[in-house]
Amino acid sequence: MREIDLLTEFSKKAGTEIDPKNIKIDDTTLRDGEQTAGVVFANDEKIYIAKMLDKIGVHQIEAGIPTMGGDEKEAIHKIASLGLNCSVLGWNRAVKSDIDASVECGVDAVAISISSSDIHIEQKLRKSREWVLESVKTSVDYAKSFNLYVSVNAEDASRSDMEFLLQFARTARDVGADRLRYCDTLGILDPFETFMRVKNIIDIIGIDIEMHTHNDFGMAIANAIAGIKAGAIYVNTTINGLGERAGNAAFEELIMALKYIEGVDLGFNTTLFRAQSEYVARASGRILPTWKPIVGSNLFVYESESKASGILSNPETYELFNENDVGLERKVILGKYSGVNTITYKLGTLGIKISRKEAEELAEIIRDKTVSSKRALFDSEIIDTYKSYKGKAGKNKETKRKVRDGNNKK
Amino acid sequence: MAITKSKRYINIIDTTLRNGEQTAGVVFSKHEKIRIAKMLDEIGIPEIEIGTPSLGAAEREIIKEIVKDNFNSKLFVYCEAEPENIEYAVQCGAENVIINISTSDIHLKEKYKKNKTWVINKLKETIRVARQNNLNFIVSAEDATRTDLGFLLKLISIAKKKGAYRFRICDTVSKFDPFRTFLYISTISNATSFPLEVYNHNDFGMATANGLAAIRGGAANLVVSVGGLGEGTGNAAMEEIVMALRYLENIELGIETSKFREVAEYVARASARAIPVWKAIVGTNVFAHESGIHADGVLKNPKNYEVFNPSEVGLTRQLVVGKHSGSHTILHKFKEFDIELTDKQANEILALARAMSIDLKRPLFDKELMYIYNEYTKKNKSRKEQ
Repeated sequence: MREIDLLTEFSKKAGTEIDPKNIKIDDTTLRDGEQTAGVVFANDEKIYIAKMLDKIGVHQIEAGIPTMGGDEKEAIHKIASLGLNCSVLGWNRAVKSDIDASVECGVDAVAISISSSDIHIEQKLRKSREWVLESVKTSVDYAKSFNLYVSVNAEDASRSDMEFLLQFARTARDVGADRLRYCDTLGILDPFETFMRVKNIIDIIGIDIEMHTHNDFGMAIANAIAGIKAGAIYVNTTINGLGERAGNAAFEELIMALKYIEGVDLGFNTTLFRAQSEYVARASGRILPTWKPIVGSNLFVYESESKASGILSNPETYELFNENDVGLERKVILGKYSGVNTITYKLGTLGIKISRKEAEELAEIIRDKTVSSKRALFDSEIIDTYKSYKGKAGKNKETKRKVRDGNNKK
Repeated sequence: MAITKSKRYINIIDTTLRNGEQTAGVVFSKHEKIRIAKMLDEIGIPEIEIGTPSLGAAEREIIKEIVKDNFNSKLFVYCEAEPENIEYAVQCGAENVIINISTSDIHLKEKYKKNKTWVINKLKETIRVARQNNLNFIVSAEDATRTDLGFLLKLISIAKKKGAYRFRICDTVSKFDPFRTFLYISTISNATSFPLEVYNHNDFGMATANGLAAIRGGAANLVVSVGGLGEGTGNAAMEEIVMALRYLENIELGIETSKFREVAEYVARASARAIPVWKAIVGTNVFAHESGIHADGVLKNPKNYEVFNPSEVGLTRQLVVGKHSGSHTILHKFKEFDIELTDKQANEILALARAMSIDLKRPLFDKELMYIYNEYTKKNKSRKEQ
């Protein structure tokens, strides 16, 4: 595709309608999420996360890697027998014994993963392209003999030669795979490249596509959406974006971006997002940054006069959705950037009414205080500041009166 | 890559010291502000937003001091459109200002409670004072992505006529994805042929991608901040934009990226917001490999799983031994300790290490690996003796 054609196609897709029925989420918190260096979930935690995802409304859960055996296999088996509404998928290499392990776990779907880039084929697998295609054939064929739903994963698809990737996709389609997972394993695509490449595969091969994106350059969500715009149906997400290196496309970000930017409401129970994210944060030992999109605890906290003034008049001035939608709370705090409106409001919530003049004077005092303590003030400090300000103001008045009285006496 | 990218000059302006500090709960001390400005200058950031003069005497003192220094970076201060605010900027010795005003109907109605004529007049009034003082100025349209396009174009033509440096388009509520960003910016760029700058927020995790889309659309300037520090979810992260431009768009800004981790760490401490270990580009975990598949791939050739070398951003590669490790990692790890294992030993130690890691719910420290090894060799010895 020439750049000019791509850009035309690309801009045509701005604001196009997408049918929510055509979008499905396959969450891999339990597989790629746990594969993150340093993260281990206990089996009970895995089951809890699976139940929560199901309750929220996810379409498919990638529960783990059955061939690892032991605890891992047991957890997958348990999840598969919970009777969830969603599909449960096991991750496999393109090897028969892996698929046997998946079958033993009782999952209804499998991912069969194999690298499609030359660098991986030569340097990691130390095999040939032919060997890769042959492995796809035999393993998909084998999985299909158990009536499993099959997602063939083209690992490192984004560094694969397009001609070979098309051949790979065709092989998968012809042998009966249900979808192809396009893995941007290293997170090296931008939305333009993603769009063009995915569109290419869909146009030429016509197989269902699933997006698996990584956040190495901060573009996991944007690339997942670019894939959807190109016609992909599935997106592989993880809660909090948990995943190897910089992580994957964050589940909660994707769902909200679809709902509020693309106008695609999947009907998920978003009010559980904060609780879910907190749980995974704890189980993975990776604390949620306060500024984490969608679920960070600081997102509905306002300090600066410019934003607070808008929000207090109408939240829509700065919010596309409100705090209850994702299970958060709204708060106004006082700090260096607070001004008259913010201070008047905040003191009001603490039961103190002040005039505009008082607010102006207090703004300066509060600014100095926050700068010297290098943080926003606690409520008790705000009350304290107000009291000592009133005390001084009162004293000034009193002195004035005394002076006046004195003068009168003279 | 199938798409050819024309070489052009792309500029970034860092707002860590202004919108970064404006984050609820974040305050930099004077010393920190000056240090951050120096660091940004040293690594070659072309433009820096250093503060808001209207915030009071203390802030103005800091700005004055930074302005006095001999920086290579071009320094800007931030003013809400109001003649008085420009006077404050002049008092600080600032030469370049950003004049910000909200332009969307909802902000006009709910925040200012004024109409469009008021906005135009306020902007013109403020610009007049800036011009009287010979200041360079950028006009910044807050909530531009929810603004009536006709009105926005009118404001751009005013800015252009009055000699603005460029025009800033703010996606204040993260209304856009890359598709809409591209369409919007290319439309405006084609209609005005005036230099544009784009300011993104990260509410849906797309700040960086939208920045790149804006560049494709014709904007040549992006607003960024270290670690993405900024109000709410923050802004486009400086290090992500610089590295994405270098590796994905083939645009080199000539910034000294090897200091990225150091700068990010300093800002993290000063803002009391720790860098998540998985933060793109500068997180300590970005070059940590645990899973057998990945670690094995990286050991054979780092390019299997890395786009650039960790030292390029001031990080180091780590191999972590945990639940998902494979025998290659074990072999490699013990080589680091000067111990050569056989494949059989590596496999047996791997099983022990995995079990221990599941039990502890974390990867193992090097020490713990050594304990496992010592016990393993002891057992084998006693078995042999028996």
